[in-house]
Amino acid sequence: MSTDYQFDNQTVNGFIVSSIFWGVVGIVIGLWISIQMWAPSWNIPPYFTFGRLRVVHTNGLAFGLGLGAIFGIFYYITMRLTKRPLMFPKLARFHLYLFNIAIALAALSLFAGMNQSLEYAELEWPLDIVVVIMWVIFAIVIFGTIIKRREEQMYISLWYIIVTVVAVAILYIVNNLAIPATLTKSYHLFAGVNSANVQWWYGHNAVGFVFTTPILAMFYYFLPKSTGIPIYSHRLSIISFWSLVFAYLWTGAHHLVYTPLPDWIQTLGIVFTMFLIAPSWGSVVNGYYTVASDWSKMRTNYLTKFFILGITFYGLQTIQGPTQGLRIVSQLIHYTDWIPGHVHMGTMGWVTMTAAAAIYYVVPKIYNTTIYSEKIANIHFWFVLVGQLIFSITMWITGIQQGALWKATNPDGSLAYTFMEGLVKNYPYWQLRTLGGIIFTVGMLFFIYNIYMTMKKGKTLSHEKA
Amino acid sequence: MQEDLDRIEDFEAKETKHSLPIGWLVLFWGLIIWGVYYLYAYTPAFSGWSQEKAYEESIKVGDKK
Repeated sequence: MSTDYQFDNQTVNGFIVSSIFWGVVGIVIGLWISIQMWAPSWNIPPYFTFGRLRVVHTNGLAFGLGLGAIFGIFYYITMRLTKRPLMFPKLARFHLYLFNIAIALAALSLFAGMNQSLEYAELEWPLDIVVVIMWVIFAIVIFGTIIKRREEQMYISLWYIIVTVVAVAILYIVNNLAIPATLTKSYHLFAGVNSANVQWWYGHNAVGFVFTTPILAMFYYFLPKSTGIPIYSHRLSIISFWSLVFAYLWTGAHHLVYTPLPDWIQTLGIVFTMFLIAPSWGSVVNGYYTVASDWSKMRTNYLTKFFILGITFYGLQTIQGPTQGLRIVSQLIHYTDWIPGHVHMGTMGWVTMTAAAAIYYVVPKIYNTTIYSEKIANIHFWFVLVGQLIFSITMWITGIQQGALWKATNPDGSLAYTFMEGLVKNYPYWQLRTLGGIIFTVGMLFFIYNIYMTMKKGKTLSHEKA
Repeated sequence: MQEDLDRIEDFEAKETKHSLPIGWLVLFWGLIIWGVYYLYAYTPAFSGWSQEKAYEESIKVGDKK
């Protein structure tokens, strides 16, 4: 089946290129701060100290690389699943420009030290307003297109797209409610424990609705497209979707176990967090069973392994994460290096793996060509896999060690180890982590080269045709 | 220029309307049941447990040793 109009692929392409650009910035800064952990002389005050670079790293990758890819791929998927071009294509193009302006201003303001001191909500109030305007534009284009769709049935990816747009809007606006003092300084509307509770309701759901639901939208779309196998169970997709969405927004309090937050709120947060294993594994099982009907796709289609490894790390992440929320586990690993190990299994193993595979699928399609080199894609795969595993595993080991040293007491109740004794033991693991980061970065360079050459090949082909 | 459109049947074919895997259903309901227990056991208003009491308790154990 085909039609005689053309989709707006330029906007999709623009988002993908922007996403890769911000990804390079974020990854380089990530490497830099990983070195700062064991070589303090790599701090260059005032702009390039750990405190400022870290937030550029997290914002640059979560919102530059992550959201950039999400915007582009959402537009790509939405057009195809609704069987129509985007509503308001010019607005979507404006969205692309505004996105890049917002990320650039975000990076500059964070380098300058302007910071609300709320994790993943660091941007000061004028930029928050820009972000909200950008998100409203995004919502108008997505909802307009879905309302005017030409395919009545809404595939599961569209549901994940809808919840991403709605949830991020609510979370972002509520947690960024602040009273401006000057143009570059504001104070959170909530105070004390309330501020912490709202912040981690936001913080955890930024993970939920930037790193989980949009990536599941991609997974459910590109896995059947790449393998040619329909998803194992539509019913399982839908039940997992609704139970995930229902449970996610209650879970933020697991970041505040053993704090002054009332006990009952902590407990409620932990209960919903543990429950999340079920819907998360609904998608994992659905993915495995889909490919299980023909495992040879792991060899014959180069993208299948990206999706299967991606969903595997999603599965591990969604067991590890809820377990961390339990009081008995939290008291050992909270505030240790285990936490960055956990986060990076998700971001490097699940989010980047899946998004990169989606980009591998999309770019040849919109350039009307084939991938430049499957071999380079395979090299990319193994490098990012090994790099990520080194990162996660070293941080788990040193995290447990750190927690155990902090908790160790002498018979009289005094601490067995000083803070410095614990800190020094991290050094070899931090150095290994930098090595893991370098391996991951090399893998990403292979990816970028492959995408660039595919685009070049596509351009040459279209010139030849003309 | 023409666009190839997706067919919904490629994503959700009729023969793939599988029912929910039994293992997954056990996980789903098991976690709900566990949640009811944990909510009861660790909410001060229900069971009397509190973070503060648990801490005091942990220090006492240390004294005995």
